[in-house]
Formats: sequence, structure tokens, C-alpha cells
Amino acid sequence: MAMKERASVRVPRIIFALLFALAALFPLIWMLLSGFKMNSDVLATPFNFFPTSWHIENYIKIIQDPAFSRAMIITFIGAAIFTVFSITINAMAAYVFARLDFAFKRFMWVIVIGTMFIPNMAILLTSFIVVTKLHMLDTMLVLIVPGLASAAQMFFIRQFYLNIPIALEEAALLDGAGRWQIFTRIFLPMSQPAFVVVGVTSFMAYWNAYVWPIMTITSPGLFQIQQYLANFRVTRGPELALLMAGSMLAALPVILLVLIFQRKIIGNIKIAGLK
Amino acid sequence: MTTSNTDAGVAATNALSSTGAASAAPVEARTTDRTPRTKRHRHPRRDNLVAYLMLAPMVVLLIIFVIIPFINAGYLSFFNWSFYKPSEFVGFRNYVNVLEDPDFLGSIGRGLYFAAMVVPTGMILAFVFANVVKGLGKKLSGFVKTSVYIPTIISGVIASIIFVVIYDYSGGILNWFLGLFGVQPIAWLADPSIALPALAVPAVWIGFGITALIMLAGMLDIPDSYYEAASLDGAGWFKQMLFITIPSLKNVILYLLIAGFTAAIQEINLPLVMTQGGPLNSTLLPNLYLFNHFTQDTYQGMPIAGALLLFIVLGAISAAIFSILNSDKAVDG
Repeated sequence: MAMKERASVRVPRIIFALLFALAALFPLIWMLLSGFKMNSDVLATPFNFFPTSWHIENYIKIIQDPAFSRAMIITFIGAAIFTVFSITINAMAAYVFARLDFAFKRFMWVIVIGTMFIPNMAILLTSFIVVTKLHMLDTMLVLIVPGLASAAQMFFIRQFYLNIPIALEEAALLDGAGRWQIFTRIFLPMSQPAFVVVGVTSFMAYWNAYVWPIMTITSPGLFQIQQYLANFRVTRGPELALLMAGSMLAALPVILLVLIFQRKIIGNIKIAGLK
Repeated sequence: MTTSNTDAGVAATNALSSTGAASAAPVEARTTDRTPRTKRHRHPRRDNLVAYLMLAPMVVLLIIFVIIPFINAGYLSFFNWSFYKPSEFVGFRNYVNVLEDPDFLGSIGRGLYFAAMVVPTGMILAFVFANVVKGLGKKLSGFVKTSVYIPTIISGVIASIIFVVIYDYSGGILNWFLGLFGVQPIAWLADPSIALPALAVPAVWIGFGITALIMLAGMLDIPDSYYEAASLDGAGWFKQMLFITIPSLKNVILYLLIAGFTAAIQEINLPLVMTQGGPLNSTLLPNLYLFNHFTQDTYQGMPIAGALLLFIVLGAISAAIFSILNSDKAVDG
């Protein structure tokens, strides 16, 4: 409302809002602090929220664990490759659906969008059969390739492309530019806001994946970070502070991504077509 | 597909775009109508070749990794199928078997109970949150929005690890906190009657941010003039909420309910990491049931049939509600 709120309304509003923020961040703050405790202190009675003594060496120790660092690096590389290819593939399809006219367009659209409604679990086993037949099991390929094409991502980029004025494109067409040139010279440079959102989503999906990696990756050398953490919890249960430090570091890349791109990501959370 | 995880937050984001998809038909019709009409005179040709070349990577990948597995799942669901033995056609027996399996039916019931705990809690909190944040200054609301969004991006594994330790019987922070009020320690994850509600808490924590931000976006879309007119007519805060905010948000709320419901009923990471479905199957949610059968059974026909049944039911619910939603919008103009 345009009217200025009275302090009696505004102050409780601010307090409530900060309480929401605190409640949301509390488990993470607690994880961060636990990473600084001694292993025996994480679950000590009486309970200490803050470490009684600060042990930054937990964070150093977990980084020096070769299995942890390798999992972090391998997952990061996989996620980066996954993100780049996923954006490229989905953006090309988005451009085609947004701007080109071609035979069986409607049919192709229905097929592609239809895949969005197939839950992972319905095809988990049969996807496993496919990657087995393609000899992809226990390679980085099995983590990257099967999820690259995403109708949801394509749809999001297409919505963005629909808003780019057609006049821009028609001028280029008159100048004799081909469709591919228009895509790479006009659309790609303008796509950054959409790519930030789908890029972060792709990176996150890869980084946070757990079920698919544990089904398809068996060599410890290829363990993904979530796999490593779940495994650590089972095999090295008592080293709780180390586990907390590792989990904190494993959460950091996605947290940083969101903090860096917060305005674009959070600004983009609306619902297309719903009002 | 496969690498996109089943995390509630991401599921919500994906479902977010699927809403758009459901309402895409009219948009699509409009653009295909318009584009050729303006171009027809100057560019009579269709861009078949370049369209198919640029579409090829996506379509080929979807065919190999989504469509073929999907069709194959439909096919195998009629067989007594195994990796190691020749398969045998059994007709609808897998479907009958899975529907007669008390564990499967139990997991569905548990999934509904889980969703009934997670979704309304998250929605009510999100509604309160959106109301609170709506009137805040830019800086503070930016900080608060980012704060509540961060849990949404945390992986199910990390959320599980955090909450397992929070719930620890003897040294966990939760029992310590309740102990301050004289409450005896509770075995949160070991008591079959409490384990599932205990999993609902991290599920709400993960899903809250995206729900709240969508709710807030919907709320910010309501024109100020509605409220101004109402307050001139003497309507108080409560009446404004009841007669303006909630009706204007009807579609957003409906959408969040469906997206939240389908995400909650498909939750797998939390029970898989925190409890492995125990104690006494009390946290065996449908997807975990299917996952366990996929990884442990010799014959896979039955879990495949179960997965397809779940897909049909969930898909039908979403489709039905989305079509109501769309027709409603058409009436509104």
C-alpha cells in the first residue's frame, strides 16, 4: 500500500521477518558451528551451541582427505560440463520452438513437453537398462549425458525467447542472415538472464543428485560428493565434526551460486500463465 | 530426468515450469498463428532443415533416455522380467500383485499422510511469510528472501545428515531444547509413530523457500487499488485478507498445493538417508519402496508396474486440476 505504515505495525513485521530468516538458516549455522567442534562435542551433554574450543583443523583435515577433495573436484567438473551442454542443447531447441516454423512442429512439441510429466522413478530401472546397454555404467558419461535434455529448462528459455522482439530478427533475415547466425549473434548474447536461472538449476540438479549416482557409480574414485557424504556417515559415523565440516563445504558451491546470482534467480520466481 | 534429483525444492522448480507447460497450449497456438502470418509473404519456406538440426540433440537424448525407457517400462510391466533370466509374459499379473502388496499400499498411504503433514504446514507458513515480507523495505526483504531460499538448494543428503544429528536421542539439540521444559528425551527416528512426522520437518524446511517466494510473487501481483478501495469501505486487515488476498491467490494456492503434493509424495532422499524406511517400515514412502525393489529384487515386473501406476495417478491428478485451472482462467477472460 502506498500509505506509510505505523511503527506499531512495522516493527513486529521486521521482527517476524527476521525470525523466518533465522529459522531457515538455523540448521545451516548449526552445521557450520559443529564443524568447528571436537567430534565428541557435537553430541555432548550438556549441549553447547557454540564450540567450547574452535577447531578449524576439521575443515583442513576434510579437505586433505583425498577421497573428499576428489569427490568435490569430480562433481564440480561434472556439474560444469553438464551445465554448459544442458544450456546449449535446451537453448537451441527453445529457439526452434519459439521462432521457427517446420513440419510436424505441434507433434514434436507435444512429445517434448510430454516428457516433463514422466517422473524419474517411473523410468529409473529402464534408464538403468539403457545405460547398461550403452556401456556407460561407472563412467562420468552416465552422470552427465542422460539428464542433459530437459523439457522444463527448454520451456523456460523459450518463454524468454518469445519476449524478444520479432522485428530484430526480421531485420537480420532481410540482411541475409541465416537462422543459425541469428541464434548465435542475436539470441545467445541476449540470453544471459535466462541462462543464469537455468544454469544454476542445472548445476544444482547435478551437484545434489544422489539416487542416480548410487545406482550407476560403483568405483570409489568416481564417487560424487553426495555419495561420498552419505558413505562417510555410514562408515565413519563417530567423526561427526568432520562430517559436519565436509557437509558444510559440500553445500558451499550451491550457496555461493545463489548468493552471487540472487537477484536474477529470486527475481525470476514467478509463475508463467497463472494469475 | 535422471540427474535432476528428487529433492523437493528442485521438484517444485521443475513443476513450476510444468505449470507453464500445461497452460502452454494457448500461448503456442498464438505464436504459431502469428509468426507465419507476418512472414508468409516474405518467407514462404519453412525452416525444416535448420529446425531439425537444432532440435536433434534434445530430441535424440529425450528419445534414448526418457521415451524409450518409458515405453520399455510399459512393455516390461507385462512380463516376469529379470536381468538374468528369460522373461515370461504374465499379462496384468504384475499390476494385480503390486496392488495386492500390503507394503505398496502401505507406502501409498504413508505418502499421502506425509504430504498431508508437509504441504499444508509449508503453505500456511509461506502465506504468513508472504504477508510479513510484502510490506518490508527492499533491502531487508531481499535479505530475508535469500535466507529462506537457501535451504531449498541444499541437497537431500546434507539435510538428512543435519537432521539426523539434530534428532539424536542423547546429545541432539532438539531433545536438549525440550529438556529445558522438562520433556523427557524422545527417540525421534526410532519410534515408528514419530519417525514420519520427524521426516516431515526437514521436508518443510527444504520446500518452504520456493513455496514462500512463489506465494509472495503472487501477492505482489495483486493491485494496490483493491486494498485501497477496501480500506476506504472500512474493511479491516482480516476482511481484506479473506475477501481480496485469498481469492486473488486462488490459482497460485492451487498450483502450490499440486506441486507440493506431487513433490512430497515422491520424496525419497530423506527416508533413504535418514531411516532407510524404518523403523518397521514407518518411513517407507512410495519411491523408496520402488527403489528398494529395483535394487534388491530378481524379478522387476512388479515394481515397474507399481511405478507406472503411481505415474498414472499423479499425472491424472495434475492434468485434471490443471485443466480446471485453465478453463477457469478462460472464463475470467
